[in-house]
Amino acid sequence: MEHTAPMAARRMITAPLLHRESIGASYHVLTFDVPEGSDAQPGQFAMVRGAEWGDAPLLPRPMSYLTGGTTPSILIKVIGEGTLRMGRAEPGEPFTLLGPLGNTWRPPSRNRRPVLVAGGVGIAPLLYFAKQIAADGATPLSIYGGRSSRDLPLEDELSEISETHLTTEDGSRGTRGRVTDVLESLLDAGSEVYTCGPDRMMAAVAAICAKRDVPCQVSLETPMACGYGVCLGCPVPTTDGGYLYACMNGPCIDARLVDFSRSDHAPRKVATTAGGAK
Amino acid sequence: MNGSNVRIGELDLANPVLTASGCFGYGLEYDEFFDVATLGGICTKGLSLEPRLGNPPERICETPAGMLNAIGLANVGVENFCTVKLPTLRERGVTVVANIFASSVADFVKITERLEAEDGVHAIELNVSCPNVTVGGIEFGKDPKLASEVTRAVRQSTKRPVWVKMSPEAGDILAVGRACEEAGADALTAINTIRGMSIDINTRRLRLVALRIVWDLCGAVSIPVIAIGGIATWQHALEFIMAGASAVQVGTASFSDPCAAKHVMDGIAAFCSQNETTVADLIGAARSS
Repeated sequence: MEHTAPMAARRMITAPLLHRESIGASYHVLTFDVPEGSDAQPGQFAMVRGAEWGDAPLLPRPMSYLTGGTTPSILIKVIGEGTLRMGRAEPGEPFTLLGPLGNTWRPPSRNRRPVLVAGGVGIAPLLYFAKQIAADGATPLSIYGGRSSRDLPLEDELSEISETHLTTEDGSRGTRGRVTDVLESLLDAGSEVYTCGPDRMMAAVAAICAKRDVPCQVSLETPMACGYGVCLGCPVPTTDGGYLYACMNGPCIDARLVDFSRSDHAPRKVATTAGGAK
Repeated sequence: MNGSNVRIGELDLANPVLTASGCFGYGLEYDEFFDVATLGGICTKGLSLEPRLGNPPERICETPAGMLNAIGLANVGVENFCTVKLPTLRERGVTVVANIFASSVADFVKITERLEAEDGVHAIELNVSCPNVTVGGIEFGKDPKLASEVTRAVRQSTKRPVWVKMSPEAGDILAVGRACEEAGADALTAINTIRGMSIDINTRRLRLVALRIVWDLCGAVSIPVIAIGGIATWQHALEFIMAGASAVQVGTASFSDPCAAKHVMDGIAAFCSQNETTVADLIGAARSS
């Protein structure tokens, strides 16, 4: 399977937090000060860790770039210890950023209209992509869903540059229901879909696209220790019965290659040993 | 020579810092971060006779005591290693320790014979201690008789140094270590991954266990012991060296910082220079004081 990431100029830097913008209780945008600039493109990610965290949390966290350049930023949702610390970080606090890692979204084919389907914090790589599309003079179509209105961070930024449809499961914003309810009616034969969100959502989006014969790329998210193909901790089941690795073969990848029926819907296998990677 | 060089049996290493199998790929993945040829050596991802896909997700989970994993020995297989990975490592002058595993003595020998046909492999490290596969691996490392059998068979199939990687799961690890020594092992590596669940909240459990085992092993065998287990800094490395280890391997730390092994290597060199000492003099220093 030839989807190996381009060997961009990835490097590890220590950069101070420039500012942190809280969006509700759970979401934060962290912007870093990188005077020499970052080559990060939409779809790529960085391994991010507080430079002063000490022994724990031990591993950096894979985070999609929300912006690149001299002020690269990430959108985080507070889930565990690592993101909790990120959500409390103050300007000036140093972070290590290893990136850019992984591959980019494949640009839409000529004459196809990009349709961006985001779930919650999955908006990050898609908003960055939408900005790139808008800068090229096009207006993407976006469908952005969450459990409630509190789970649609940065919806205003997305709405500014795309034709945006919002959905919430509780009906507190936009259409009540899921992104897939809206996607069915908006897709046409000239669409090209890009999606990032929970696996179940991406699986449903991919299934609709397959049925309608519309190209679809997904942005994979899995636990990850290194981010560059060494730990082998980020396998994603493929339709040929094997695995690809989210860090090197993705995170952006043709949905047809991914076997969502064997991904994290399945009962979770608990890792059982400490230290190293065997 | 800057005082960092060490000798592991017949093998001279430029310094005592190696990277642990499974935590450094096949070495070249790190070459863009620093010159991996400057390391004492790299231990490859464990090599099997045939390529292996590894376990289904999820494979890793971080805990306060370290990274839990169940990778399942995913690897490219010995043939691909020899034809695709090794030529570049050889050309770059990297000191390569080929880590190998199998579920039978015969397969251990076949892998060894395949490697024997190649230049650029400096030592062979037997993984007789992986707990994450259903067949083979750890059984060899728990039983002195089986460990001895596999060590002897590999010893007879290669002219290269043979290191045996000890399992902390062995009931009597010192008996296993002595059995490997008698069977012709040139060095012991301690320790492989711990089967575990997270319990300790504020300690690096892996390193505490590893240090105790390394200390005991160094007293039990006369061949060199190479330490591994939670080593993330040069200070950690020196703890193990002073406990008697002749060299160390850096593992999980390479994930959070690709240059972790380089920092360990540089830190040891700086320590030796500041204290006008050599690594050789520091090996086992804590034992005699």
